[in-house]
Amino acid sequence: MTTDTSGRPNAPTTGSGTVFDIGYQNYTGPREGRQRARLAVFKDGIRTALGLGRGGRAKILPWAFIAILALIGLVMALMAGAADRFVGPGAAERLNLPSHSDYYGIASIILFVFAAVVAPELLCRDRRDGVINLYLVRPLTGSDYVIARWSAFLVVMLAAAWLPQIILFSGLSMGDPAPVGYLREHWLDVPRFLLAGLAVAAYTTTLAMLTASFTTRRAYASVFLVGLFLISTPFTTGLASEVEGAGGQWISMFNLTNIPVHVNDYIFGELSAITREAPAATLPASVLTAWYFAWTLIPAAILWFRYRRLTP
Amino acid sequence: MIDVQPVIRVDGVSRWFGSVVAVSDVTFDVRPGITGLLGPNGAGKTTLLRMITGLAGTSSGTIEVFGQRVRDNPPLYRRMGVMSEHETVYGFMKGREFVRMMGRLRRVTNLEAAVDRAIELVDLTDAAHRTLGTYSRGMRQRMRLAATLVHDPELLILDEPLNGADPRQRVHFQGLLRTLAAEGRTIVLSSHILEEVEQLADTVLLIVNGKLAASGGFRAIRAALNERPYHVRVICDAPRELAAAIVRLDSVDAVNIDPDGAIIVLSRNVRDVQIELPRLARAKSISLRRVEPLDDSLESVFGYLVER
Amino acid sequence: MGTVYWLTLRQMMGRWRLLIMTLLAAMPVLIAVITLRSSRAPRVEEFELVVFSGMLAGSIAPLVVLAIATAAFANEIEDRTLANLTLAPIRRWQIVVPKLLATITIAAPFIATSAFLTSHVAFLGDVKATMAVTVSSLVAVSLYASAFVWLGLVTTQAIGVGLLYIVLWEGFFSGFVSGVRLLSIRHYSIAWMHGLDQRRFAAMDSLSLTVAIVTSIIVFGGFLLLSVRRLRRMDVP
Repeated sequence: MTTDTSGRPNAPTTGSGTVFDIGYQNYTGPREGRQRARLAVFKDGIRTALGLGRGGRAKILPWAFIAILALIGLVMALMAGAADRFVGPGAAERLNLPSHSDYYGIASIILFVFAAVVAPELLCRDRRDGVINLYLVRPLTGSDYVIARWSAFLVVMLAAAWLPQIILFSGLSMGDPAPVGYLREHWLDVPRFLLAGLAVAAYTTTLAMLTASFTTRRAYASVFLVGLFLISTPFTTGLASEVEGAGGQWISMFNLTNIPVHVNDYIFGELSAITREAPAATLPASVLTAWYFAWTLIPAAILWFRYRRLTP
Repeated sequence: MIDVQPVIRVDGVSRWFGSVVAVSDVTFDVRPGITGLLGPNGAGKTTLLRMITGLAGTSSGTIEVFGQRVRDNPPLYRRMGVMSEHETVYGFMKGREFVRMMGRLRRVTNLEAAVDRAIELVDLTDAAHRTLGTYSRGMRQRMRLAATLVHDPELLILDEPLNGADPRQRVHFQGLLRTLAAEGRTIVLSSHILEEVEQLADTVLLIVNGKLAASGGFRAIRAALNERPYHVRVICDAPRELAAAIVRLDSVDAVNIDPDGAIIVLSRNVRDVQIELPRLARAKSISLRRVEPLDDSLESVFGYLVER
Repeated sequence: MGTVYWLTLRQMMGRWRLLIMTLLAAMPVLIAVITLRSSRAPRVEEFELVVFSGMLAGSIAPLVVLAIATAAFANEIEDRTLANLTLAPIRRWQIVVPKLLATITIAAPFIATSAFLTSHVAFLGDVKATMAVTVSSLVAVSLYASAFVWLGLVTTQAIGVGLLYIVLWEGFFSGFVSGVRLLSIRHYSIAWMHGLDQRRFAAMDSLSLTVAIVTSIIVFGGFLLLSVRRLRRMDVP
């Protein structure tokens, strides 16, 4: 390097480096902020959960689940229609065939397995591959991320929970000889099943996501969740039937598959086929509802807390 | 020269995934020595290597190694050592254990001695007792190489082996490969780093967009691309005067003068230029300060082929 | 083969995993103990249906085996370490068999102990009944292991498919669609149980022991062969 008169080194003279313009351009457009980032994570969550934009194979599982759930609703509608046709109008209700209030009791396990299989995709993959860091260096906090993901999955769960009920309602009203009359009599069912569906969806989403936040391998999260739901049922049922009185009721409360179904019963004002047997059903509605909220809000808080502290 | 049976024979091999063609009708032979598989990322090098090692099947065409079909032929692996581009170690194992396990799977006799030798070859004897999870990336790479060498294979297939290696490791590794090749082994090395391949490989296979764009020594390849003229830079006292004389030569296509005052000669017959240039300079009493070929490197060949 | 076996065992050990499996395995035992202490003793059919068929053979065993069997191949594929084994000069079955055996080695103690203790307590120490239940649980573990190891090789969504199978096929349909019982691992193992202690379980309907043994061998061997075939033909990442 040459030096000037004072002894300090000169900068290198021109000619030793060239930059070629090969067309790269700086982005000069508007930069959207946090809200846009949250929305992007939310949309991506929905696409991942439903396998959209990822080829045929990724779509099989989630859509199979939704199809099965819808099928159950359809079958229920057809059964009611058949009863009305062959036995006489109103027969479905008289025979107490399963209807809106029973749906979530029947389908809850499938909804849980759906959540167990799909929810870990939304959280575990990012942490395992380190992609979460790419999110966190954006104007996006850990809690933004997890809330966006949770909302995305909730939307998917709501679709899965509401679609069959809508099918059932349409089937029942169209199968009725006087559809308009049916609508007028039974319109209350709609807000009821919407609310019950929300209860089931929120509960399922939160528990599934919380479990997924504890491990980076999707497989273990899924198996743990299904194990939890599948096994708590016979376990608590068996145990509760042996222990009398209040003890039995409280044991039955730990039947995780039934927690949102009790709320469903409260909304519809009648016990569904599944929960009729459970000792917990005899507890007052306020206790059952409070229990539901405990099992939804506390896991949600833990989930939020786990992600809030994450830094890139 | 006796025509020895090639170690690897790839014949009309193609591989497609759905509608994406990763490798398209590639044919070549590999003989002992170091062969470099060169190409931009996504050119199909890894797919091709996976097919050569039998990890993946071909959509059409055949691959033979040591004269045998390589797919579904486990005994062949006794003579083959493969190092893939991804990290494939078990983090919970100690370095030495990993190499030993690989040796045992390959039925190595005198296992402990072989393991020691392999670890020594990659210069990791001090760290061999630590778990692989505690290694730096370069160290994991080297230990994987030791595992590849433990059974003393005749054929080595290495996919991007110098990924993440620092300069010192690079030099060590190159020396190691040259020694192994000198012992009569066949080494196939894939890379997208030109210097590596340029310094090491006797034969270069250029893969671009799934096709074999060129094969052979890179200088020979360059010579074969005789549509494109060579660039030679000449730095002298009186560039314009010399340039005026150079442009009269038949073997010269064009002469440019760049902003620094150096002459760039474009010619398809560099040999002629080599002879004429000093003569012209002497005749004009111009001192030549520097004469250098600008594209006598793999890079320029590569660049040219990729552009095409 | 021993190398692959020990490697797989090491890959499957994990503190949390083992803890959860112990918890799961303990549940039927707890139920048995509590049932025994209560005044109202359940009928054999009821207990068997809920505890053995429903919990053990239908839920706990397949879930535990699924979690472990996926570690055999699915995890290796995800981590890209399977090539370490396939690039060795060993026959493909010498990779599949030790992995399958390792899966059974890890899962069996939990399930078998659970089955043993549960039936010991429930049947008041009757040796024959206890042995019948324990053997049938081992059969269940082996059959699920063979099936899920294959599943892990065949799809990256092994868990999802496996869970669907457990919940819908074994859990839901096989309960009341009798045709499905012919294709249900849960019911094969229950058939073993009935067949081995016919006196106690005489009243219940299931496949005969001979049929159960034959189908078990076919299922176990069939999935094993399918796994070897798959390993030979697949693209190993």
